[in-house]
Amino acid sequence: MKKRYKERGYINWIKSRNIKAAKRKRTHFKRLEARKLASVKKARAQRYKNFTKVIAPHNLSLLNNTESVNFFIAELKSAYDNNEKTLVVLNQVDEIDYGSIVVLLSVMIKFKSKGLDFDGTLPENKQAKKKLINSGFFSNLFKHHDENDYYEISPENGGNICTHAQKKVDSELGDRLIQQASKFIWGNEKRCPGVQRTLIELMQNTNNHADAEKLGEKHWWLSVSFDEVNHSVSFAFVDFGVGIFENLKNPTQKNMLKNLTEKLSELFHFNDNAELLSMILSGQLHKTVTGKKYRGKGLPGVAQACERKQIRNLRFITNDVSADVNKGLFELLEMPFHGTFVYWELDATNENFEY
Amino acid sequence: MEIEGKFSGEVFRKEYLYPKLRACIENDSKLVIVLDGTAGYGTSFLEEAFGGLIRHNNLTHAEIMSHISVVSEEQPYLVDDINDYLADAEITED
Repeated sequence: MKKRYKERGYINWIKSRNIKAAKRKRTHFKRLEARKLASVKKARAQRYKNFTKVIAPHNLSLLNNTESVNFFIAELKSAYDNNEKTLVVLNQVDEIDYGSIVVLLSVMIKFKSKGLDFDGTLPENKQAKKKLINSGFFSNLFKHHDENDYYEISPENGGNICTHAQKKVDSELGDRLIQQASKFIWGNEKRCPGVQRTLIELMQNTNNHADAEKLGEKHWWLSVSFDEVNHSVSFAFVDFGVGIFENLKNPTQKNMLKNLTEKLSELFHFNDNAELLSMILSGQLHKTVTGKKYRGKGLPGVAQACERKQIRNLRFITNDVSADVNKGLFELLEMPFHGTFVYWELDATNENFEY
Repeated sequence: MEIEGKFSGEVFRKEYLYPKLRACIENDSKLVIVLDGTAGYGTSFLEEAFGGLIRHNNLTHAEIMSHISVVSEEQPYLVDDINDYLADAEITED
């Protein structure tokens, strides 16, 4: 017997048998996993059977893939307006920027505060998934949200993105955020008047103009993100009001001027909204729909903060225009953005003062 | 406007700027306003605070310019901005 176990033929047969057994075991577990996955997919399909599925583009960057993201936002808006339960499919997202994150967060809150079912899937891409988790999107997805005047969203386990929403101008919040941002960049708290000006102007813009009929009706949303790689802080601001150009076009109860853009185009010679935004930001037309010369200095003030190197990488997306103010690029969009989106950054090269 | 926050230009003008400027006009003295050391200013804050002196408090441009001195070492462009707001407010009233 002893000799038989040592025979080469016997040893090879045992080896072959073990290999086959291991292979059968692997196949068995693979089948189990596949069945489990299929069961989860079936349960999910059943759960989301009556949901409208809105599929996010691979590149969910509002700044770099504006048209596609605008289309995605328009689909979400349509679902919201039609009171549809909605599933945001983020599986295929490879890239996501802070602009899209603030939009997703605000959309989520809008759905939930209206009492509409809203859910989302995780991106398969690790970096995109991490960014979205750090924003607090998923930790807030299963929470109940009422219609409030104020929201603050941050991830439960810490993270580098914090989002605030309000309907009014809050200069104290601006000051607090600048203190946090400056501590991150310079190691101690500093004053950044350019950032404060930008925040106040944009909050005021939402307060005064976002709703065509009533002041202070729309929320503004602000996401502040701390970028450890570039050692900078990003600010992404959005309101889903009428946008800069729709506000100029449509008469409201407050202003009795009709077809202001037509009149302006006769006086100031611009061909389209891209040129008009350039003129607004440069201060050539410091007149709002009220027609008062002393109003309308807010947006030029934001552009000046960029010129004075108080902020950097200033971008606007509003109605059918996308602008990169630093590069002087103003482009028309085929797919408009219904509202006003502004993005800028702060880093060690920007103006700051000691307390 | 006061609905634009509790630290609006209107509140600043009503509670601080106008009473102090009024006193300086009556005493024929100068009010020095130092803009440095703050978190930052919105354009409408400064416009409402200073332009509002003409529009709402019925001071004249000449009265204001004779009795205030606006100083800013950190942001000197703010002084020019305020002068523009006062000039625009005067034109609007005319």
